[in-house]
Amino acid sequence: MVLAVNGLAAAAGVAAGMRRRQAEALCPAVVTLAADPAADAAAFEVVATAVEDLVPRVEVADPGLLFVPVSGAVGYYGGEVPLVARVAAAVDEAGGQGGRLGLADGPFAARLAAAAAGDGPVVLADTRAFLASLDVAVLGREEMAATLRWLGVTTLGALAALPREAVASRFGLPGLEAHRLAAGEDRGVRPRSLPEDLAVEERFDPPLRDLEQAAFAARSLAHRLIEGLGPWGGAPHRVVVEAGSPSGETRSRTWRSADPFGEAEVAERVRWQLRAWVESGGVPGGLAVLRLAPADRSDRGRQLSLGEDAASELEATRALARAQALVGPEAVLQARPQGGRRPGERVQWHRWGEPAAPPDRDPRAPWPGRLPGPSPALVPPAPRPLEVEWDGGSPERVRLGSRWEPVLAWAGPWRQTGRWWAGEGPADCYQVVTSAGALLFEVRDGSCYLAAVYD
Amino acid sequence: MAEAARAEVVALEAFPRVVPGVEPGRVLGLVGPPGSGLTRLGLALLAGPARRGPVAVVDVRGWLCPPAAWEAGVAPERLVVVRCPERSLWGRVTAALLEGLPAVYAEVPAGADEALLRRLGALARARRSALLLRPLRGALPSGLAHLNLMGEAVRWEGAGSGHGRITGRRLTLRAAGRGVGGSEQVLEVLDDGSDALRVVPRLAAAPAGRAV
Repeated sequence: MVLAVNGLAAAAGVAAGMRRRQAEALCPAVVTLAADPAADAAAFEVVATAVEDLVPRVEVADPGLLFVPVSGAVGYYGGEVPLVARVAAAVDEAGGQGGRLGLADGPFAARLAAAAAGDGPVVLADTRAFLASLDVAVLGREEMAATLRWLGVTTLGALAALPREAVASRFGLPGLEAHRLAAGEDRGVRPRSLPEDLAVEERFDPPLRDLEQAAFAARSLAHRLIEGLGPWGGAPHRVVVEAGSPSGETRSRTWRSADPFGEAEVAERVRWQLRAWVESGGVPGGLAVLRLAPADRSDRGRQLSLGEDAASELEATRALARAQALVGPEAVLQARPQGGRRPGERVQWHRWGEPAAPPDRDPRAPWPGRLPGPSPALVPPAPRPLEVEWDGGSPERVRLGSRWEPVLAWAGPWRQTGRWWAGEGPADCYQVVTSAGALLFEVRDGSCYLAAVYD
Repeated sequence: MAEAARAEVVALEAFPRVVPGVEPGRVLGLVGPPGSGLTRLGLALLAGPARRGPVAVVDVRGWLCPPAAWEAGVAPERLVVVRCPERSLWGRVTAALLEGLPAVYAEVPAGADEALLRRLGALARARRSALLLRPLRGALPSGLAHLNLMGEAVRWEGAGSGHGRITGRRLTLRAAGRGVGGSEQVLEVLDDGSDALRVVPRLAAAPAGRAV
């Protein structure tokens, strides 16, 4: 199977996807080479580096396929056409003769524009209009394309005109992605990963015992770290701080930020971290080694919304970061709603400063059997055994601490069937009101457990 | 209760005018036994400062359930929960938060040092940050809080003998301290869970200008 062809072979009629014999029949002088992705990647690296010299943070999607973010570079080089001309010249000089260039709003359209390019590059003025005329086959999903054609939807324009909910309902997540691409709502360019040796390290002999000395060293290391990342156009969102003692004990903590770290921010975090370790006796015998490494080098930043005050936002971020230094990133949390029946299930936790993952369960779904509001303010991390006295089917008294409290009113039970396929049995939930407060408990396998407190 | 029925119901936004406790640089005490409904009230009081910036809850027990705060008007993206079961770190964590956030709700672990609590109060005043303290056991040192809200009684509504469901509550509070001019007031808080709490000033002891 022919995977790729150069310009001469293409001129002779050879195309990707043909069988080898077919290609040789069309062009007897053709030279065929066995596929070697590693060699392709090595050869293409020269081209990628040449383009990267012009525009930083390129994404190498495949050997031979390069995405370049141009929003900043367009202004720098004086427009789209001059930029494309510079890139084309750089590609030619690097040995990538015959390369095709397409410029569009997003990688998907840019790749298709490049594929449609002939001798010269293609610069799309209206990406959506360009996409609208293309066949649904360009989505690269044969089965979906066949179904769409059967439904009379043959172009991306027709697909984009359908309601997104309907497409998502019929094709699921791939359909949603296809609809987004057809509508010109593409992702941004993901810059290629940086070399692994960007960590910086300093050894101290004799070990540093004074916090101010250590903080001074941290400033110098932070400078080296950020300077080292500069040529790559990267700024870390996560920095790993490691401190070693003379006896070889090592402490490590990862710092995260919604905004990329600068030199001052890194130095500040390292100082806080060292202080926290020194005060807790975490680096006995002094600081022998200090190492900083970027754990993430994405280019995702965060835009302040209108009305947000940058100064107070910065103060709040610093305050929360200091708290994070004291109790660790796992203890500084934010929550977002998700679907569920029990109060604790309706919360999805994530660490502060990190993006939240999409909710596991849809919070807008009805969730029949869910506990009605108002929500309890306190939910134990795991249900706690609770002693309950019953009279027939009614709870009579509950034991809170050392005292038995009579039940003044109660409601329920709400039956939770549980995930029976995961071995989880059903449970019955009761709300009870006592003179010491209201609480929610559940009965499972004949035992009662405290599930929440209405405080 | 007859007075309560005649009293005008005011929105939570008016709470600071009734009992001006949640203000920048002020300490508010929420004192009462567990189950007296003060956690939810404290979370509801964070809703105002949360409009200006992120607010934090120092969660000593690790039991806090954010939907109670969301229902009371705190936006999920503005609420940060800091779990701090270690008593030795509690004061430093709370101080760190006070340095940059407009409001901090902190559960106070049993046996917290009085001097530390007073230092936190001074820091809140210096940083113009509102500090809401909810002691898990006992009361706060005298004179620390600008206003103390003490849970007197709570009446749960909606649940019967095996029917209905808890739909709301009436929380009776006694307000004391400089925030109410030194004279005690009794307030009743209505909470039906669907919206922010509503406050009914119940005792005529409140100066006429304050009872909205």
